[in-house]
Amino acid sequence: MAEVEETLKRIQTQKGVQGIIIVTAEGIPIRSTLDNASTVQYAGLIQQLVMKARVTVREMDPQNDLTFLRIRSKKNEIMIAPDKDYFLIIL
Amino acid sequence: MSTSTEKLRKATLKVTPSSRKTAGSTSGLLRVNTRSAAASHSRKSFSLAGDSRLLEKGPAPVTGRGAQVFDESGNDVTPRPLCHPDPATMQPRQTKIFAAQDASGASVSDFLSTTFQTTNTSFAGPFTRSVLESSAMSRSSQSTMESLNDEIEDSSAKCSISVSLSDLQVKKEEGKEVMREDMLDDVVERYLTETGTFWLLDMPAVSVSVDAAEAESVKERNRAYIDLCKNRMGNDKYVERGMQTFNGALKTKELQSEAVSLADAAVMATTWDMYDTYSSDGGVGEATESADQSTSPDIILSQSRESSKTPDRTMSVLSSTSMASSLSSQKETAALFTLSEDKASPQLLLQSEKFQQDLCVMERVVLQNIFQARLAAYRRLPVLKDPDTLHKPSETLGAEMGAVPPAPALELLWSFSCELTVGQSVSSMAWNKKNPDLLAVGYGQFDLKNQKPGLICCWSLKNPMWPERIFPCQSGVTALDFSASHPGQLAAGMNDGSIAAFSVQSRERTAVLESSECPHKHSGPVWQVKWTDQDSGPWGEDKGETLVSVSADGRISRWILRKGLHCMDLLKLKRIGSKAVRKQGGEKTRRSEAYISRQTAGLCFDFHPRDPNIYLVGTEEGHIHKCSCSNNEQYLETYTSHKGPVYKVTWSPSCPDVFLSCSSDWTIRLWRQDLLTPVLVFTSLHRAVFDVSWSLRWATVFVAVNEDRLEIWDLGANILDPTIVSSTRPGVKLTSLLSATQTDCVLLGDSNGHVGVCQLNDLGAGDSQVNWKHTHNGRQVNSNSTSHCFACI
Repeated sequence: MAEVEETLKRIQTQKGVQGIIIVTAEGIPIRSTLDNASTVQYAGLIQQLVMKARVTVREMDPQNDLTFLRIRSKKNEIMIAPDKDYFLIIL
Repeated sequence: MSTSTEKLRKATLKVTPSSRKTAGSTSGLLRVNTRSAAASHSRKSFSLAGDSRLLEKGPAPVTGRGAQVFDESGNDVTPRPLCHPDPATMQPRQTKIFAAQDASGASVSDFLSTTFQTTNTSFAGPFTRSVLESSAMSRSSQSTMESLNDEIEDSSAKCSISVSLSDLQVKKEEGKEVMREDMLDDVVERYLTETGTFWLLDMPAVSVSVDAAEAESVKERNRAYIDLCKNRMGNDKYVERGMQTFNGALKTKELQSEAVSLADAAVMATTWDMYDTYSSDGGVGEATESADQSTSPDIILSQSRESSKTPDRTMSVLSSTSMASSLSSQKETAALFTLSEDKASPQLLLQSEKFQQDLCVMERVVLQNIFQARLAAYRRLPVLKDPDTLHKPSETLGAEMGAVPPAPALELLWSFSCELTVGQSVSSMAWNKKNPDLLAVGYGQFDLKNQKPGLICCWSLKNPMWPERIFPCQSGVTALDFSASHPGQLAAGMNDGSIAAFSVQSRERTAVLESSECPHKHSGPVWQVKWTDQDSGPWGEDKGETLVSVSADGRISRWILRKGLHCMDLLKLKRIGSKAVRKQGGEKTRRSEAYISRQTAGLCFDFHPRDPNIYLVGTEEGHIHKCSCSNNEQYLETYTSHKGPVYKVTWSPSCPDVFLSCSSDWTIRLWRQDLLTPVLVFTSLHRAVFDVSWSLRWATVFVAVNEDRLEIWDLGANILDPTIVSSTRPGVKLTSLLSATQTDCVLLGDSNGHVGVCQLNDLGAGDSQVNWKHTHNGRQVNSNSTSHCFACI
């Protein structure tokens, strides 16, 4: 557990990382370094996106599954590690 | 038929006496008849029926002779006989008949008329009585034996009228009730009746044919009806009248029932959904979960409520969702169960394996973002420029690297360091044999004054900010080596002489094997460990890798990892005098002049790249010995040149006979295997050279580390001065060196705990062909960088 905390802290202190959000599969944020409003917003939007992406991947080959999702925009980059139970989002 | 036969019989019975008189055959026949009838009288109808048949037969051909048939109107319609048989022929018939019917009468038939008479007479007596009786009976009774009675009457009548024979015959005929034979010819009545007709279907015709008999009447009736219809209109007979029917009183009644609740449920049947359901064990829960997720957000919301920890909230949620249909509520309860099992608390979630893995990946990804340019340079990949990002210092770095000046330069890409390693001095580094991205760094102090507990960190190139594995050690680490056959094994030699083996694959922080309990462990710091592949040891060991270590107590020992470390000495390093006098026989106890111990500390060793039995040892005295594994007493060769302890000996990876040595006497010497004096001596600064390493990419380049300088020597360019010199920050001493494979980078360890990755740019050593000669002892030495070999004539 401590290791997980340490790792999270380390990621957070890296250069360029704006925030970390950990959301359950239902959309409840477990941990967040951003404010509540944007957290909820991100969580909701990203969940839909991840669902869509996952459906896309699995539709082509049911044995495949989505492991990582990266969205690069002009201003920043969102990295999402989805799982069955949770989403790990790093901005 | 019966009636006709009856009639026939009756007709036959009305045989006139004349007929009887005329033909004996007829009388015989009659006799036959009566006899047969009489005979069969007692019997049932079967025989009588047979008699009737016979009777039919009988009279048919015979009636023409004597019997006269009268029809209703009394006409004589007696059929003419077809033939006239003799009485003699008749008798056999009679006999036959009698034989068939009655045995008693058989004897009678054999005789002629006289016999007839006799028989008649014999029969007559009873006949008469019976006839009388029968006649009496006949008058009285009106049974079905009418024909019999008639016969009897007739026969009696005939008897009275006829001649004696006939009388007798008649009497005999009359007595047929008694006699069976006489009864045989009786006509028996059979009444056939019909049952009434059962109507099963009666469809009376609606229409009648014009030709039918009733057609006229039907037409009449139709006409009457039409007239009736016409007359109906104004006729007084027909009056219209209204009627009122009673309507029942209405009464409202209310009824209450449970509301039928409806809910929409939708499921997406996708290929992966079906695959999930089939493949996973908890298919129901997961399928419903995924289905729920894809359906309306209401269910998701309710599920999210359910997943909360407080039970009372879940109760309320359940009650609120009870309005949904049973199907969805089942789904939710199923989902609730799975939810509560798997991930009730976020804490569990965070601690799960998968999460940690994801975190790890994520960290690496983030770092990759940061370090992308540098990592790409390390791996000699083209640096990708982000078109959208603003102007950042990293870009300038890339720009610099893009327009590199032709002069060779050394560039620090990044350095492995973290807060754990700050303050520690890097003592040794080793690459993983299997995974070239993995680096093990040992931290320990060189000087023996202040001993700190050491540290081994395994770094991954993908994460320069934090080591992947951290192994704390009791004493400072002085030597490290990864095993080639078991890539997860890391051997470490410590300052206190112990050797430990770590497994990098597990996350444990303890050593797998330790040599602290071994009785033969080193008493001095282990300066170098190496995994070697021995083909076959002289001790009959199996092929495999063994660990060889050299330490300050003068022993080179081989360790076997079998239930703990067991060591066997390969060699004991003996002191030899500076006068190149070798003293054989190295007993420890024998004291020689002014030597404290007979053994000298070994500082480094290196196995021959081609021949694993040969190895070089560098000692504290400054000697370099070439030894063999099979000989643990003697050295093969001794190379004496250095004045100080030899810190490093390395064979050249490209040229099999050449090796380098560096020592604290400020020199680096280049040797050839068969020459006892160095071929080349390099010196640049008056500083001890701690480490020297061949470059793996260029054959003529080697890197040396002074106390405060990194020097890159390119023998192809310049043998007197290092090609590239890079100084470190003041106060930091460079301690160790490692060249990297597949890349042109060099790893530098310093006393601050930093391991810097420096890239050698554009050394240009591999391009030019330089022939240079070095005359030494009259021999010509040619060097051709492209062919990578030093040749001696």
